Formats: sequence, structure tokens, C-alpha cells
Amino acid sequence: MDTLIVGISSGAAYALMAVGVVLIFKCTRALSIAQGEIGAFGFFVGLRWAARGIPGLRWHIPVFATLLVAVVIGVAIALLLERLVMRPLVRRPPLDGLIATLGIALFLALAELRLFGTATQLAPSPVGSWKIVLFGATLGAPRVIALLIAAAVAGGLYAFFKRSKFGLAVLATASDPTVARVLGVPVNQVYRFAWVVGGALSGVAAALLAPAFGGLTPFGQTTFALRALSGAVIGGLDSVWGAIAGSLFVGVLEAEVGAQISVNAKSVAVFAAVLLTLLVRPRGLFGEVAAA
Amino acid sequence: MSDTGAPILEVTDLCSGYGALQVLFNVTFDVRAGEVVALMGSNGAGKTTTLRTITGQLKVTHGRVRLADEDVTGMAPESLVRRGVALVPEGRGMLRDLSVAQNLELGAYTVGDRAKVAAAFDRAYSTFPILAERREQKAGTLSGGQQQMLAIGRALMSDPRLLLVDEASLGLSPVMTETAFDLIGQANKEAGVTVLIVEQNVLALDLAHRAYVLERGQVVDVAEGAAVRTMQGRLRQAYLGSGH
Amino acid sequence: MKSRLPEFTPQAYASAAGVLVVLLAPVLPGVHGVQLSIFVGVIATAIAALSLDVLVGRTGQLSLAHAAFLGIGAFATVNIGGRGAPWPIALLGGAAVTAAVATIAGLPSLRIRGLQIAIVTLALQDATEKFVFKNQTLTAATQSLDRPSLIRTDASLYFFAVVLLGIVLLVRRRVAVTRAGRALLAVRDVEARAPSFGVEPGPTKLLAYTLSGAMVGLAGALLAFKNAPGTLTSTDPFVLLQSLLLVAIVIVGGAGSGPGIVAAAFFIAGVPQLFTSVSFFGLHVKLGVYAPLVSAGLLVVSIVLQPAGIGGVVREQLERLRRRGTEPPSPRPQLVDLGEASHAAADLRQVPRGLALRMPVRALLEAEHVTVQYGGVTALSDVTLEVRRGEIVGLIGANGAGKSTFFNAASGFAPTTGSIRYRGVELLANAPSKRTSYGLARTFQDMGLVRAETVKENVLLAQTWLARYPAAAGLLALGATIGSERELRRRADVALELFGLDHLSGERLGDLPYGTMRIVEIASAVAAGPDLLLLDEATAGLGPEEAHALGDRFLALRAELGLTLVVIEHHVPLIARVCDYCYCLESGALIAEGTPAFVTAQPRVVESFLGRAAAASGGAKK
Repeated sequence: MDTLIVGISSGAAYALMAVGVVLIFKCTRALSIAQGEIGAFGFFVGLRWAARGIPGLRWHIPVFATLLVAVVIGVAIALLLERLVMRPLVRRPPLDGLIATLGIALFLALAELRLFGTATQLAPSPVGSWKIVLFGATLGAPRVIALLIAAAVAGGLYAFFKRSKFGLAVLATASDPTVARVLGVPVNQVYRFAWVVGGALSGVAAALLAPAFGGLTPFGQTTFALRALSGAVIGGLDSVWGAIAGSLFVGVLEAEVGAQISVNAKSVAVFAAVLLTLLVRPRGLFGEVAAA
Repeated sequence: MSDTGAPILEVTDLCSGYGALQVLFNVTFDVRAGEVVALMGSNGAGKTTTLRTITGQLKVTHGRVRLADEDVTGMAPESLVRRGVALVPEGRGMLRDLSVAQNLELGAYTVGDRAKVAAAFDRAYSTFPILAERREQKAGTLSGGQQQMLAIGRALMSDPRLLLVDEASLGLSPVMTETAFDLIGQANKEAGVTVLIVEQNVLALDLAHRAYVLERGQVVDVAEGAAVRTMQGRLRQAYLGSGH
Repeated sequence: MKSRLPEFTPQAYASAAGVLVVLLAPVLPGVHGVQLSIFVGVIATAIAALSLDVLVGRTGQLSLAHAAFLGIGAFATVNIGGRGAPWPIALLGGAAVTAAVATIAGLPSLRIRGLQIAIVTLALQDATEKFVFKNQTLTAATQSLDRPSLIRTDASLYFFAVVLLGIVLLVRRRVAVTRAGRALLAVRDVEARAPSFGVEPGPTKLLAYTLSGAMVGLAGALLAFKNAPGTLTSTDPFVLLQSLLLVAIVIVGGAGSGPGIVAAAFFIAGVPQLFTSVSFFGLHVKLGVYAPLVSAGLLVVSIVLQPAGIGGVVREQLERLRRRGTEPPSPRPQLVDLGEASHAAADLRQVPRGLALRMPVRALLEAEHVTVQYGGVTALSDVTLEVRRGEIVGLIGANGAGKSTFFNAASGFAPTTGSIRYRGVELLANAPSKRTSYGLARTFQDMGLVRAETVKENVLLAQTWLARYPAAAGLLALGATIGSERELRRRADVALELFGLDHLSGERLGDLPYGTMRIVEIASAVAAGPDLLLLDEATAGLGPEEAHALGDRFLALRAELGLTLVVIEHHVPLIARVCDYCYCLESGALIAEGTPAFVTAQPRVVESFLGRAAAASGGAKK
């Protein structure tokens, strides 16, 4: 039972990244592999500013601010990306967009290596080091916050799509951008929105996962992004709720396999799960369209 | 036939196309306030290209588009919608996974006033009771005729001053086509909406005050008032060959 | 016809120069054992990138596991060779194991398109790194591979690597000029249409994965031998970073361009190792550290601005050089003496039929109670019609009436109930490629050919079902392959001449005007040797004189080639001139049939096309 809870909390953090991926995919038809490194880069900067201070200002930012820095820089990178790289690719085949995000992830990870070194960066939790015990499992602060934020995001998105006008605009763009544009929907703003949310959630995910899993490494967040992507595929790439459910599933699968078999077998289990899903039900558990 | 006013839409010497392929060659026509203008042509004549160019979806390589007093050449679709132009796209442009109500609401996306939007909903539901019945149903599950109703209703939600209709008869049986044209004619007579209807089906000429014929990207014929009826005969000949 | 002598094109000179440099490398000044060793590593990377290109460039599948495959190949080789197997067995064994793993990874591609393959392969890369490479038995940490005496020196290992590279490039070339290569492109660009050519997407995709796996496994084996004697101590060359860098090499080099990719491999992987640090005007730059970063940047810039990569740019410049001084060919079909050309083309009908000749039936095609339903929409309802041998039948109706749907039903692209018999054989039980082999060919309303390929390649693609050699044999250029390919090319030339297109045979299809592309599609369909040709809006995009000329060609196809045609047309005067019989559809149902004159006079037809009011006033005008 306790591994289950731990698994769900990891899954919640993965879900944050997965929601970003699916939102971007639904709105722009591009699959983003860069959701790990976007947040990682921001968190790296935050940690550096906490450890050595902001260059020129000689002020060490407090630990909780590293989360904010991760989010802000994540959003900044996402906005830059959307405008310069992804927007020109909107009319191209989706594979080109995927390759572009791959290049971005590679670039960011290598930049991290260059700027912050190859050693694992110590990542103190930005949300404190308190713990709670839930159903026999001890959860550190980052995991608890991940659960809370994931729940808030789920609820927030639900209300957003149901109630708000811009939420409707997002749904329209996801359904058919050409028609949406003709109706007066600000489709470019929707693209930006998807990437901004993706960038922000990526930052939060990095700031919570790194402390929970022992530190921040370049390419390490891409491994987490892989879990998120696997969750999105299993749940259905065109369904936000599928992404959340799939990510929780991946988190639990990981935790159980890691506990019962071995730590190294976790990745094999995730691979098997993705392979099986694509062979048996390619559109995912909750997806509606045959996959892109 | 009806009192028409100043031109709402003036298209002058319009040229455009897809990449290196030029499709429109100096197309000129206008639509005056309160009237229904039909732009006729067979498949591949350039009718849909004309609408796409006017609404900013295609690049204008030459020429001008004026909306009332404003030059709107090459303006983005969003800007045109805000200026009171609504489009019923080719194939109806249903947002299939959204509900009837959501589709209608999107028609009023550029309308800020909540009261106006509510009034628009009332209008739509009273004009199309079937839509009121199925307001939560997904648009993709409606029949062709119902989708056409939704498309027209959606376009009217923003209370536009110019309605552009792209091949309303596409894929519809003659009975449904007549219904669609009736609705458009109704919108013009009762609400005073100015309409530019682009069509292959000659039946559209029944509701047109003026008509142009497009062939291979050029305007080749124009008729006004009573002459529109004789144009129907000429088009029959063009479509079905001599001897008819 | 065309000259058989090799052309001395700028491409040929460039290739020759490249080959010369590679062969002379060991004797160039400044090149010692260390450099040669680095070259061997670069060649392994190049082979891995070339193998990735088979998937990405030619088949449209993005694999992020190729570094893992490289490792699997290397460790498999050490495992097999370290246990005492002779080195050729170890080499081939490494390739075989990797090919098998790659094929399994490629299984989802049978059901999904390119995007999710990236995620599956990413998961495989991660799983391999975290599990396989940490497992002592699998990585053969206790075995030691011996280096065969053949390649004991640095120079001999280098030449061994060059030979392997040569083999891989040769195999790629063979793939490109045989049916396998064309099939892969069809799967990449027009997958839904491919079965009508005789290309089965599923087995074709798996073939691509197997081939790619074998190639990268070979590269892994090379690395194992480079490290020999001993085992591979580090798994650094096989991690995710390397997988991503391989993608960068393919894209920056130019997907589909062998020389481009090899050059990119040299610059991205080789240069940083050869010149670990450079001095620029007093600035000391550590290439090894910055090179990957620059490569990633180049990848992004490439994909956004110049997706064809270095290879594409160079190819364009060389093309321009080749054409310097010559007029570009006119992009329209030339006028042709139809009688003469058709005579030559009559033997296009000589093809093997997989169909026993039944009792002579009057009708070539008999459709009875054909219904097509997509979800809740009925596209065709209870349509019964027949097409007699030697007729030209017209299919008319308003947009959305179901005409193309009927073609889809007949050729196997729509869920159909009822019966459609061809020469007495029930078609509905047979796959689309089978129906093509029976003698049914069709064109598509939105042009079902590969725009990125030349006109001639497309005509060859349409004849895939005629290529009487298995795909694998094509790689080895066995006798049957050469004969068969030659025959296909001859047929392609004849078909192109028939339509006045032979001056365009080397042009890229996508560069031609839309109307000309459509005629290429008709030529391709004719080249496939059908008895019954279904043409969907063949005159779309043509001017009035060209449409008239095409009508003449329909008549010639019937007169000289003995073809039976069904044409969907909007241009009713053409139907009246050319068709013997005509069917009119409306909203999925048949509303009239008869001679064109009869059908176009029917009130329901007139109403369907022109509207009720027009019918009333028009009828009175008679």
C-alpha cells in the first residue's frame, strides 16, 4: 500500500508534465519532448542563484524562490520557443515539430552540462522538508505538493474548459484551427497559452521531482519527461484526463516494479507498458482518435 | 427588387493563388447593403479561393478588398470577424467534438456584451428549434441538413453585417438545399443581413438580387434584377452542354 | 531513347573526389594511428546515422533508440565472438541480434503513425540503458573479444571500416533503385493509397526496421572490434545523448542524402575529437565541449529553415550546375501522335494475371446493391450498375454524391456491403493490391503519388505489383531483379511517351503544375497494365484545350490499348463527347442511367445539378 501511495505521488508530478504535453499536442499538433529540459534549465538557474547568488547582485535567493525561478524561466523559454521555432512549423508535418523539440531538449541539456557541470546538482526542496504519513507511506514535502498541485491543475482545467471563454477558444483550436480562426478565435494566442502552461508546469515538475529523486542532472529530467510521455501515450495523447490517469498509472507501475523486482527493471516495465498499449489499443485508454 | 444601399464589400482586381499556382485573375465585384449577391461557377472556377482571399486565409498578390469605407485587404480573419463579417465555410466547418451550444457560442466569440450573446442564443434557438432540442449533442453527430442549420445559425450569432456563404449545397439533397437557401433568404429579408453566396447550384439565383459568374478565375458574366432569371438558362447550357 | 553511358555530372566528380580522399587517408600528412582510430569511430557513427536515415528519411519513422541499438550490436558481437566464434559469425551475429530487437521495437508502427514511435523508442533507449547495459551477462563483461589478425593494425582496421561503410552505402543505393525503396517512400508519403500499387504498409515498415537494425548492428560490431582485444568498458557511446546526436546528424546532413550524412557525421562527431581545442585569434575554444551544443543548435535551425540539410543544399547547387546553359523542360505534356504512341503501348497490357479466366461475362465490372457507410453517414446506398468490356462509362453527380466513394468501394478503400464482381470474381473479399493484380487501376481525386520523387520513380512505384522479385533479393541485385527492373523501366518509358511526358521523366513531381501531376497519375495507372481504369476527375486543373486533348486520349486508350474506362467528370460536355453510357448519382443513390444525352435530359438529373426552379423554367424553353 505504501509503494502505491509513493507511486501516485511520483505519478502526480509526471502528470504535471504530461498535461503540458497533451495541451500542446491538442492545440498545435506538435509533440514536445522538451518538457523535461525546459523546466530543468529554469530550476538549474534557480539553484545556482540560491547557492551562489544572482551574478551582479550578490544576493542569494531563498530556497523557496527556486521554484518561482524555475516557473518564470520555464515560461520564458517556452514563449521564445513557440514564437521562433514552433510557430513557423505549424503547417508542416507533425514529425518536423517533434524533431524541433528534440533539438531544443538536446540543446538545453547540453547547455546545462556546459553551464552547470556534469555532477548531480544538489536540489534542496523549495517547499520545505516536512513529511507526512499517509496510509503507511512517508511522503516528503515535494511529493505532497506535487499531489496537491496536480489535483489543483485537474480541477482548474475542468473549470477552465467548462466555464471560461478562452477555454472554449482552446477547445475550438484543438478541434479545428482553420475553422476556429475563421470564427474570430485568436488562434495564435491559444498556441502561446498552450506553451506557457506547458513551460510553467515543466518548471514546477522539475522543482518537485529533482528534490524527491535525489538531485538535478542534465538529461535526468528528460527521463522523467519520458515517464510523462509514456503516461500520455497510455492514457491517450488527445485527452488531458487520459494524460493524468496514464501518468498516475506509470508512477504506480514504476514504484511497484522498483520495489518488487529491481530498480533497473522499472524502465523495462514502462517500455513494456507503452509497447503493449500501442499494440492493443493505439489510441490510448481514454483517447478518441486513432493516433496521429 | 429591394432597396440596396452603399457597397458593403468591394473587391477590385483581386489576384491570388496557392504558391506558384495563380487561381484568381483580376476579379472585380461588389455587394451593396441589404442585397443578396450570388457568385456562381462550376467546380474549380475559383469561388472558394475568392472567399478565402477575402477573409485573409490566402495571400493577396494583387488588388484590393474594401469593407464599407475601410481597406481590409489581407487582414487576418479575426479582424474581419470583429468588423462584422461572418463566414459559413465550405463543408460547413463543424467543430465536430464540440456541442451545438458550444459551436453557437463560438459564433459569438467576438461579441463582448453578455446580454447580446444571450439575445443571440434566443434568436438562434427560436429560428432553429431543432438546434434548441439538441443543444448538448456533439456537432459531429448531426445530420447534413442539421449541420447546415447550425453553420448558418453560428454565423448569425455575431449579428454580422455581411454573411459569406461557401457552397451551402455541398453534399445536400435538393430538398435540404432549398431549405438552406430559404433560411439564407430569410436572414436577408427579416434581419437585413447582406449576403454573398458562392454556389455551383443554380437554385441559388432564386434569392439573388445580383449575380456574377466566375470561370477559371475570371468574372465572365454579370446580371441584375430580372436578368438574373435568364442567367439561369445560360448556366444550364454551360453546365450540361448545348441542346439543353 | 536514353543514352546508357554514365553522365559525367558534377555529382560524379564530387563523389569520385570524396572516394579518393577516403582511400588515401592513411598516407596523408598528419594522419597517424590515433587519427585513424578516430576515423573508425566516426565511420561507425556514420553507419549508425545512415541506418537511422532509412527509418527517418525514407520511411518517416523517428527512432530515438539508435544509440541503444549500437550498444546492443556491440555487446552481442562481444558475447558471440568472446565465446570463441569466428569473427565473421560474431559480426553477422551482432547485426542479426540488433535487427531482431529493432523489428520488435517497430511492431507498433503497424498500427500507429510516426509520432508515437518516438516515444516507444525513447522508452526502449531508457530501458536498455538502465537494465541491459547494467547486466553483466548481457554486456559480456567477463568475455573478451579477440581482434582478428586481418585487422590488427590501425590502417587495416580503418580499411575494414571503409569497406563496411561502402557496403552500407551500396545497400542503401540498391534499396533506392528497387521496389523496396519505392515502397518505403510510398509508406512515408501516401500510406493510405499504397495498397493500390501493391505495397503493403505493414511488412514494408517492418522491413525498414529490420534493415535499419542490421546496419546499426554492423556499426556496433565495428566498435566492438575497434575496442578489441578486450571488452567494452564504457557505455558512454550508447546513451540517450548519442541517440539524439544521431538524429542531429541525419537532419543536418539531410535526410535521404548518403554523402550529406557522412559529411555531417565527420563534422559533428569527428572534428571535435580530431581538434579537441582550437585557437581563434587568441580565443581558446574547447571544441569537444561546444561541438555537441552547436550541433543541437544546427539541428533546430535546420529543421526550421532548411529541412533538406547540407545534402539538400549541395544537391540543389549541383543540379543548377548541371543545368547551366540548358533550357528547363516545358512542364506541360507534349502533343503526341497518338496512333503511333498507342501502338507501342499496346503491349503494356501483357501482364501476368492472378485471375483464372471465367466464362466470358458480358460485363467487366458488375456492382450490385453496393452500400458504403462511414459511422452514421451513408455515402452510397444500394447502387447497382455494370461496366461492359470496351465501354467508356461516365459517372456524374453533384459534389458529395458518392462518385469517389464508388471508386473507393471498387478498389478496396471503403467499408462496403453488397457485391462487386470483376470478370465474375467477387472483389470485396480481396485486398486492394490483389484487385490491382486482377486488372483494376484507379487515380485519386487528391493525387495519390509521391510528390518528393521524380515522375519516373512514381510510374515505377505504380507498377510495384509487377515487380517479380522479393524485396530482399533486390538488395543483392540478383539476376531476376535486374531483368525485372529493366522491364519495369521500359514500361514506364512507354507509358510516359503515350501521354507526352517523357521529357519530364527526371523532374520532381511536386515541381510540376497540378494538371500535369494528374496526367502523370493517369500514366502511372496505365503503366500498371490494367483492363479497367477508374479515373477520378482527370481534367481537374486542366485548361479547355488540354481537357479536350485528354478526352481524345481516353478514346485512344480504348481504341489502341483495349482499355475499359470509368471516368468521374464534372465537365459534362466532355462526358457527352466521350462516353457510351452514363450513371448519375445523388446523395449516394443512383438516379439515372443511359446514354449521356438521355441522362442529362432527365428532370431529376437537371434538378440535382441545377435546382428545381431552373429545371422548371429550362424545361419549358425546349
